[in-house]
Amino acid sequence: MAAAPAASVMDAATPDTFPRLLLQHARLRGDAPAMREKDLGIWQGWTWAQVADEVAAMASGLAELGFRRGDRLAIVGDNRPRLYWAMCAAQILGGVPVPLYQDAVAQEMVFVLHDAEIRIAIVEDQEQVDKLLEVRGQCPALQHILYDDPRGLRHYTQSFLHGLDEVLAMGRIHNENQPDFIAGEIARGSPDDVSIMLYTSGTTGKPKGVCQTHRAFIAAARGGMQVDHLAADGNILSYLPMAWVGDHLFSYAQAMVAGFTVNCPESGETVLIDMREIGPSYYFAPPRVFENLLTQVMIRMEDAGRIKRSMFHFFMAVARRCGAEILDGKPVAATDRLLYWLGNLLVFGPLRNVLGMSRIRVAYTAGAAIGPDLFKFYRSIGVNLKQFYGQTETCAAVCLQPDSQIKFDSVGPPMPEVDVKIAQSGEILVRGPMLLKEYYKRPDATAESIDAEGYFHTGDAGFFDADGHLKIIDRAKDVGKLAGGAMFAPNYLENKLKFFPHIKEAVCFGHDRDMVCAFINIDMGAVGNWAERRGIPYAGYTDLAGKPEVYGLIQECIEEVNAALAADAMVADTQIHRFLVLHKELDPDDDELTRTRKVRRGFVAEKYAVLVDALYSGKPSQFIETLVRFEDGRTGKVGADLAIRDLKVFPAVRDAA
Amino acid sequence: MRQIGDVILDLRNISLAFGGVKALTDISFDVREHEIRAIIGPNGAGKSSMLNVINGVYRPQHGEIIFRGEHRHGMNTHMAAASGIARTFQNIALFKGMSVLDNLMAGRNLKMKCNFIQHALWWGPARREELAHRARVEEVIDFLEIEHIRKTPVGRLPYGLQKRVELARALAAEPEILLLDEPMAGMNVEEKQDMCRFILDVNDQLGTTIVLIEHDMGVVMDISDRVVVLDYGRKIGDGVPDDVKNNPEVIAAYLGTQH
Amino acid sequence: MQFFFEVLIGGLLSGIMYSLVALGFVLIFKASGVLNFAQGAMVYFAALSLVGCMEKGAPLWLAFILALVVMTLLGIATERFLLRKLVNQTPISLFMATIGLSFFVEGLAPMLWGNQVRSLDIGLVDEPIAWILDQYNIVVSTFDLFAAGMALLLVGGLALFFQYTRVGRALRAVADDHQAALSIGIPLQHIWALVWGVAGFVALVAGMLWGSRNGVQFALTFTALKALPVLILGGFTSVPGAIVGGLIIGSTEKLAEIYIPPVLQDIFGGNFGGIENWFPYVLALLFLLVRPEGLFGERHIDRV
Repeated sequence: MAAAPAASVMDAATPDTFPRLLLQHARLRGDAPAMREKDLGIWQGWTWAQVADEVAAMASGLAELGFRRGDRLAIVGDNRPRLYWAMCAAQILGGVPVPLYQDAVAQEMVFVLHDAEIRIAIVEDQEQVDKLLEVRGQCPALQHILYDDPRGLRHYTQSFLHGLDEVLAMGRIHNENQPDFIAGEIARGSPDDVSIMLYTSGTTGKPKGVCQTHRAFIAAARGGMQVDHLAADGNILSYLPMAWVGDHLFSYAQAMVAGFTVNCPESGETVLIDMREIGPSYYFAPPRVFENLLTQVMIRMEDAGRIKRSMFHFFMAVARRCGAEILDGKPVAATDRLLYWLGNLLVFGPLRNVLGMSRIRVAYTAGAAIGPDLFKFYRSIGVNLKQFYGQTETCAAVCLQPDSQIKFDSVGPPMPEVDVKIAQSGEILVRGPMLLKEYYKRPDATAESIDAEGYFHTGDAGFFDADGHLKIIDRAKDVGKLAGGAMFAPNYLENKLKFFPHIKEAVCFGHDRDMVCAFINIDMGAVGNWAERRGIPYAGYTDLAGKPEVYGLIQECIEEVNAALAADAMVADTQIHRFLVLHKELDPDDDELTRTRKVRRGFVAEKYAVLVDALYSGKPSQFIETLVRFEDGRTGKVGADLAIRDLKVFPAVRDAA
Repeated sequence: MRQIGDVILDLRNISLAFGGVKALTDISFDVREHEIRAIIGPNGAGKSSMLNVINGVYRPQHGEIIFRGEHRHGMNTHMAAASGIARTFQNIALFKGMSVLDNLMAGRNLKMKCNFIQHALWWGPARREELAHRARVEEVIDFLEIEHIRKTPVGRLPYGLQKRVELARALAAEPEILLLDEPMAGMNVEEKQDMCRFILDVNDQLGTTIVLIEHDMGVVMDISDRVVVLDYGRKIGDGVPDDVKNNPEVIAAYLGTQH
Repeated sequence: MQFFFEVLIGGLLSGIMYSLVALGFVLIFKASGVLNFAQGAMVYFAALSLVGCMEKGAPLWLAFILALVVMTLLGIATERFLLRKLVNQTPISLFMATIGLSFFVEGLAPMLWGNQVRSLDIGLVDEPIAWILDQYNIVVSTFDLFAAGMALLLVGGLALFFQYTRVGRALRAVADDHQAALSIGIPLQHIWALVWGVAGFVALVAGMLWGSRNGVQFALTFTALKALPVLILGGFTSVPGAIVGGLIIGSTEKLAEIYIPPVLQDIFGGNFGGIENWFPYVLALLFLLVRPEGLFGERHIDRV
């Protein structure tokens, strides 16, 4: 041992690239499960040692096909073990994996294949092979296509198509002939090499390839592990697109750093079933998924027998009262604690089991604002759900809520080693080891988003609350100013309004004006139901929207929001003073919403200028007639006399400021 | 490429009547190994009767069925199933109260050898047999992409999926000939495309010979190797799709010309 | 309170005995969609066969096996000479056939084994379990407890058999859809013979327990009538339903017998004994109004 002190120092050093991490796991916990996949109804497992072996074979196979240092490897498919291994194999050779969204149509892939100059692509199955074949003519650089699942590909005779089995076999022979090849290649790697390129979805302009280094992703992974005490005994179900930064962080980077087990579901449709079987300790889902799960639970409870249902409602009330506090370790009355314990036995436990969340230690959500009720529901039944904040350019690791410091409307304090600053304009600036190296072949874009001090401009607007937690309020470009100088973040307000089930859409105005006013779209289902229960007759959307009772209902909701806004010095001035309920639903067919159902504020303001003027001129009502397009293409007119109501505004609580 | 082989099923001079009503009159055609053979015709042409003759539900009054060189005058359904003929039905005949998995396992019933007592005791060989069959069933599940409904009772599935499950159950028996009775009836365009793909995949990758009935001409012409056309219980055309398409008698039948 | 529990436990245990008979109905109903009217007669026949063999000098275990053989033969014969002729007939024809079968078996049994009332000794005494009596002052009969254990074992075994074995699966398939089962090569005849054999086995166990308690006599055929409310409560197609239904009927009829007459007497005066004889039927009737498919029955929804 003492004979080679230098080597042992090397050994003891923390590995600083992903291939080195893999080697370390294979050495330290070779027999521990690294990956599982449900195949033909049975969970198949691979240990770290087996994974290392497969990855080495794949790397050498790729080398045989001519994959060189600095090359980029396209990866397209659902979450499959061999596709994750392909990432590491490329990294061993000093290459850069480029995962693509598997549900993109062929033409959408052309840009990335072109931009990243892909020569070799590894894809999951026939479907993806067909897509690449379709656009191969447009991507002359593409030389080889490797596929994981040979099904349906038997008659594809193209010489540039290879089964992964074939490539692995080739690699194994290569490794027998050159046993030092892999070790040598790994030794040549540097932590500052680019380890992955993730394309930003590009809502504006062309997608950009974000180049992240080993050092950045390892730092991001460590940060999260430190905050949430993740270790090798964890389990994660990997079902989100591999091209998404979150999946790369959780299923690849953190799994590699912490050494926990990655589980690949059988198919997209079986995720819930697989989740119940695996019982992951670690889970991510966008708010939409959590909401769907909750809806399913609620529907099942409504269908359940009366006893079961009242038991559920009784204990959910207990959970709302004290569940989140118990999870946070705060003091709770002994009777509530006892009731919660009982509820856990009878309701929450079985419920978590149905959701596949009985072994969850930490669950995350991000990507969109999550409703406080939804968030609180999961926490109150004992699921440690948290929010975090980050983007592709920051390895999805900027802020994270630590245990027992969970707030519903903030994303937590900055993660370790991360430096967050708020610019004059309100934009969030970020600096730290997890920052992107550059945008691929886009020095202009790189220079634009990273300033001289090394801060990355996120494009989001936000502020720190009194406890140092970051609150995200809007996209920076949407943030305006009231005439009085206070910051006005329409999305922030609209999201708060839309968390009420009765409000479907909201459009807030206030830029360069002295107060904030709002248009409201009611949710036809929820409000219709509400009206029926109260015996309020209505003839349709326009009629329902104009009912004084409905106005009362909406008024209560908005005033609740105002009260909440008043409590926060930063946004207290943006309380909503006046509102009206629109006579028609905002509709993508009428260009009022984007296809992804985001309000096109400018267009709406212009189209309904009379209404906006009425809001600000203090009129009690305003007549409007609008052209609408029906589903069958016909057009018609909807007219109504819309009432406008004033709202109660609360004095700001100016303690922190 | 799949090789179309020798004649595996030969039907000679089949005539079938119910009371005085003639359903099939002197029909002869053959089915070659690994091919997709379609039987088409307007409603009431005798397509389903033909399938029922092959499958042993009906016994023809005249004619001969030669299956793999064995001459038969007619057979019963159990014999047909046992000798490798599986089928699906126009009105889905699944076990609605059982899970998809159980339906498929039941489809392999004939392949299981252990006896009742062994199964009752869940005894060694029976257990191993059960597991081996489960593995084969899982391959079918994977093939037809129905993993997500493995444990769902069939009765709760939408129509299109039930059709797929019925195909899966027929496949679970590893048949040599698969009879499909209007596999695409009542489906939307997307479901039809899926079903076509599955039928082609089955034929191509498992080498199963397929005899199918359809009245949707377009689909049939696209996927079959040879087509038999029936009208009023008689054969009016037989051959590759292109020939059949140009056969004046077939055109007449489909355009509804008076006979 | 102690008395209440004593009545309740006694009721539950005797309810299990009803379940046993109901189980025979469920098996056949599941597999062939026939309400087997002859189940009561089969219980009688099985008990007589058992006693008959024992009278000829066979020890209990041998007599049990012999009786089982007899019942299996009866099952096979029923399939061969009755059901096979009636494939694809309406359920009502099949039901009528089982009524005929019931008269036939009721006649055949005494012809073979004689018609005098006999006692059946299976080595169990019908007396309280000492330590429960000492400890809680509640009377629980050893015999009842044994019978209950036996019934639970049988039900557990059958449930596993149905769920996890090839034959069980084939059986469920046949129950679900005859035609579909035929088309995939499940031999209907074997399955039916098997079911009737298993129903015969269940009848034998029921006959043995009922017979040793009340004596082997023609009255055993009436046990079938007690099974009807159990079936209505539990559902005709559910094995666990038969058990739960039996427990409910057993316990409520005994409790009703004890607790209702005094109330009625207070109100109307007069004597209101014998409630347990009709109470289960009233209960079943009420149940039919509320939940016609039974507690565990499959709700039948036709797609339109």
